[in-house]
Amino acid sequence: MKRILLVEDDRNLSLLYQEELSREGYEVSTAFDTDSALELMRTKSFDLIITDIRMPGKDGIELISSIMGMRKDIPIIINTAYQSYKGDFMTWAADAYLIKSSSLDELKAKIKELLGE
Amino acid sequence: MIQSYRLQPASFYQETPKELVILSIIAQSFFQPFSLEDNLLVILTALTSGAGIGFNRAMLFLSEGEKLKATMWLGPRSPEEAEAIWAMLSSPGIGYAEIVEHNQELINRFMPELQPRLRTLEYNLDEEDLKLPALAARNREIVHVKEASSEPLVDARFLDFLQVDEFLCLPLIARNEIMGEIVVDNAITRAPITSRDIELASLCSLLAGNYIHTTRLYKKVLEMEKLAALGEMAAFISHQLRNPIVAIGGFTRQLINQPCDREKCQRNLKIIQDEIKHLEDIIYRMSHFLRIKVKELVPIDYRPILLSIKERPDIRTKAVNKEIVVSLPENNSLILCDPVYFEEAIINLVDNALDVTPPGGRVYIRASQRNKKWVTIVIKDQGPGLDEKSQEKMFSPFFSTKESGLGLGLLFVRRVMENCGGKIEVRSKPGRGTMFRLYFQARERGPS
Repeated sequence: MKRILLVEDDRNLSLLYQEELSREGYEVSTAFDTDSALELMRTKSFDLIITDIRMPGKDGIELISSIMGMRKDIPIIINTAYQSYKGDFMTWAADAYLIKSSSLDELKAKIKELLGE
Repeated sequence: MIQSYRLQPASFYQETPKELVILSIIAQSFFQPFSLEDNLLVILTALTSGAGIGFNRAMLFLSEGEKLKATMWLGPRSPEEAEAIWAMLSSPGIGYAEIVEHNQELINRFMPELQPRLRTLEYNLDEEDLKLPALAARNREIVHVKEASSEPLVDARFLDFLQVDEFLCLPLIARNEIMGEIVVDNAITRAPITSRDIELASLCSLLAGNYIHTTRLYKKVLEMEKLAALGEMAAFISHQLRNPIVAIGGFTRQLINQPCDREKCQRNLKIIQDEIKHLEDIIYRMSHFLRIKVKELVPIDYRPILLSIKERPDIRTKAVNKEIVVSLPENNSLILCDPVYFEEAIINLVDNALDVTPPGGRVYIRASQRNKKWVTIVIKDQGPGLDEKSQEKMFSPFFSTKESGLGLGLLFVRRVMENCGGKIEVRSKPGRGTMFRLYFQARERGPS
């Protein structure tokens, strides 16, 4: 079973993604902020990371640079409400940049693609 | 012994070189909060006043895209008028400020009548057989014209307007861009234009060109800042609204597309309801915080308001296991503010302070009379404090360290303070808590 780390500070959205992705057959771990996401990464291995950008405390961009610093080659999907960060070159380090939508089809398709399923 | 001088000298020594006099006149005006037109008028004054270069008349053209348009004309219209003006200007005690003021009055008086005629002097800089004066601007060179009536390169319409045989075209150029042009002449005295005049005039045109350029740049920057703020706000609002909307949409889809038991159905509906409430809340707060208008400042007794804050139910809920310590000054002066906004601003800060103060910690509200003019109210927390990066951003709209924060609270407080003629200071250090100090205008309590 592929393992996904979901970093999302909005509790309801986190619940929604967790349920939907579990239905797709993934094991989903959730973190509400960057620090706890990094903590989880130290104890567990993941096949894919989905992260928001703007979060209280350290933002998603800082998370991406930390992951790059750990030299872990894990596909990262940025899933955010902000279009504007697309221009931020740090987000280019991510494998996909998605704008949040109530349809999760695009997100699910991207996950499949990045996991080579 | 002490001797005082005027910040802006009204007159100069006879032996002060004209260049310095002109530079001084222009520099004086550039440091004033004058409008572009006023400052250009000062340059025209430097070109025409006796203490400056002493041309009789000066006409200003400004560029607008590919067009060069006559916008201002300074100078007497007849020898009689010239005599009257020059007599007035040479009377003792008249400084540049007075001359500029006088010229301003002149412009205000004549422009309504002059404007329609000036408007006919408009040139398209792209035009193939462009004539003088506009040609000088396009070629970016100073042109001295003599015997104008027999010169085919001079625009006949312009000559008809000016009624003069000799004039000088001074292009206003900055960064190789055409900003405009000034045309000067000695129509009244018929004095020939000397090479010394041209030298001095070129200094004025150099300054004018760069001044126009700076003003236009500044205007552009202001517009860009406005657009950037608007863009930031649009991005933020779309994010704030998108999260609840995605949650509502997502859980609704589940209800429609997936089999769900009663419990899950209820849960989804509850989430949808909450998120809609959340949306309402966002819209309310946005319109509330961004639309502050203090109608009238009134002297208010802040002490009962400060004392009542810790009794508010919402504050009491937050303050469980924490202590709010209020201390008030002995005297009972009043402060100038709007009572409702004042209370909301203080609640906002106390609410923030409670959010960051750990259980067992204290939040201080301390009012004191600094001096006759100011009453300060300090709100201090025992939270983690803010690093420099957060302190820089704390008053920008939409910056928040809270999960559900809109980032409008502190902006609101600052706006209230500005509206009340006060100010706000922040001291914070990581590990040392944060302190806000609000300065309010003090008012003595009248006899009751």
